[in-house]
Amino acid sequence: MSSIAKWSLWQRRWAMFWWSLGIIGLIVLTLALYPTIRSNAAELNKSFSGLNSTALALFGGTDFFSPIGYLNSQIIYLVLPLVLSILSVGLGGSLIGHEEADRTIETLLSRPVSRTKLLLAKAQAGFFDLLLVTFLSSFATILLAKIVNMGIPLTDIAAACVACFMLVLTFGSVAFLLAAVGLRRGTVIGIAAAYGIGGYVISSLAATASWLNGISHIFPYHYYHSAQILQGSFDWSVIIFSACLSLACLLMSISAFRRRDIH
Amino acid sequence: MADAAIEIKNLTKRYGRSKVYALKDLSISIMPGEVYGFLGPNGAGKSTTIRTLMNFIQPTSGGATILGKDIVRDSVSIKRRVGYLSSDMPMYPSMSGEQFIKYLSSLEGSSEQSYIKELSRTFRADPQKKLGELSRGNKQKYAIIQAFMHKPDVLILDEPSSGLDPLMQEAFYGLLKSAKERGATVFMSSHLLGEVQRVCDRVGIIREGRLIAERSIAELQKDAAHTIDITFRGEPPLAKLKRLSGVEVISHDSNHVSVRLKGSLPPLLGLLSEHDVTQLEVRQLDLEELFIRFYKDEG
Repeated sequence: MSSIAKWSLWQRRWAMFWWSLGIIGLIVLTLALYPTIRSNAAELNKSFSGLNSTALALFGGTDFFSPIGYLNSQIIYLVLPLVLSILSVGLGGSLIGHEEADRTIETLLSRPVSRTKLLLAKAQAGFFDLLLVTFLSSFATILLAKIVNMGIPLTDIAAACVACFMLVLTFGSVAFLLAAVGLRRGTVIGIAAAYGIGGYVISSLAATASWLNGISHIFPYHYYHSAQILQGSFDWSVIIFSACLSLACLLMSISAFRRRDIH
Repeated sequence: MADAAIEIKNLTKRYGRSKVYALKDLSISIMPGEVYGFLGPNGAGKSTTIRTLMNFIQPTSGGATILGKDIVRDSVSIKRRVGYLSSDMPMYPSMSGEQFIKYLSSLEGSSEQSYIKELSRTFRADPQKKLGELSRGNKQKYAIIQAFMHKPDVLILDEPSSGLDPLMQEAFYGLLKSAKERGATVFMSSHLLGEVQRVCDRVGIIREGRLIAERSIAELQKDAAHTIDITFRGEPPLAKLKRLSGVEVISHDSNHVSVRLKGSLPPLLGLLSEHDVTQLEVRQLDLEELFIRFYKDEG
């Protein structure tokens, strides 16, 4: 790992710690409640059955209180992607953007470091940052699922967490591209967040509104079938779509960043 | 004739869609071992020139070479042999001075630790203190160390001594002198005209992105008119002074006259010997005066 990537990770060590702690806290709180929820599952299912299909789609399905339904609707489909997306978009927007705003990028580029190398080092740092926080969050999810005896195969939970990582990596990659193009941090975060949240809403509603089906294909959420993965049916489409889009974003970032003025 | 160490040819820069040129057809040639001072007021294009040379920004047209290499295409290999510093060098506030230098040397790959220690001693830099806690002058010491630590062949310096106290300024001039002695080429912008006059071999004056004058310091010293302040007991002989060839009256009051002498001294001394002179002071024209005159003339 290059010294630029190492320093970027070192600078973010406390942020990584607090993000991990926050997400783990949220997971612990959510899953610790499951034993109570489980005992009232039948009644809760009855009260939720009155919700219309659009609202149900936004929460990731129709089953909320079975072990898979609870884990999916509370953690894997909603909270984990949402919180990790915020981290990912923030990272993507700040890795280059922060150095540029502080002008420390000039100090780095005054050394024999190519812009491509600098960008790749930053992307590497962002990738490991996100990977570490996702890993710790996934570990906490798996551990808690085991403790509260959800009965879901741990490999399926791990597979769902991998899919979740790939999903949020896409949003970070989009933010990284926008920052590399030279957009302001606020604009970067706005556009990347709109792509993430818009994608979530459109892809969720596409299940009930067929006219959204076409456009939903451009969003990674369309390929993110977390409930299916938890049921043991791994779908590679989210991995392939996210890997291709992230790689394309990285290549476009390099191309744009190499030729532009440093502000 | 040796190839120029820095060759700027018709360098033109316009930011974005702006119609205003930050640089327009700028051409400068700096020979190896030369110390070139780049002068101009704020917004004249000094920093744009330096940032273009460092490939932070791209030329709109024209180009430049450093040590025979293209500033855009060969930017990385150029930077192995270039030291760069700016007046408000961006640094990482949470790093200590030592960490900052270590970090930058890790990107360099060829800095001598003993030389870095020597530089730190010369500038009395505190290696343990966080950069964010240092004063501007103390931060500037680290900016200087990182620019010189790999003994570069070319130094590109933007307001290098800004914020340094007089003792550290002297240390910096000493460092510049030894860089010149080992054959390094220096391109520096400065607002301190006395500093430029002292350390540079040649100066270029830029205005609105265009080079309006370029002179060697030796040439300037030779051609410079002398300003003489004369105090008389009583009224000065203004009419006679104005008639003397090579003498230009710049200012006067009831018993004092300042003249600029371009011709020979004896006729003026002859005239003064006929009058009651109480004080006579010869001021050599300084760069500041020349700089202001260029700007007035061009304006």
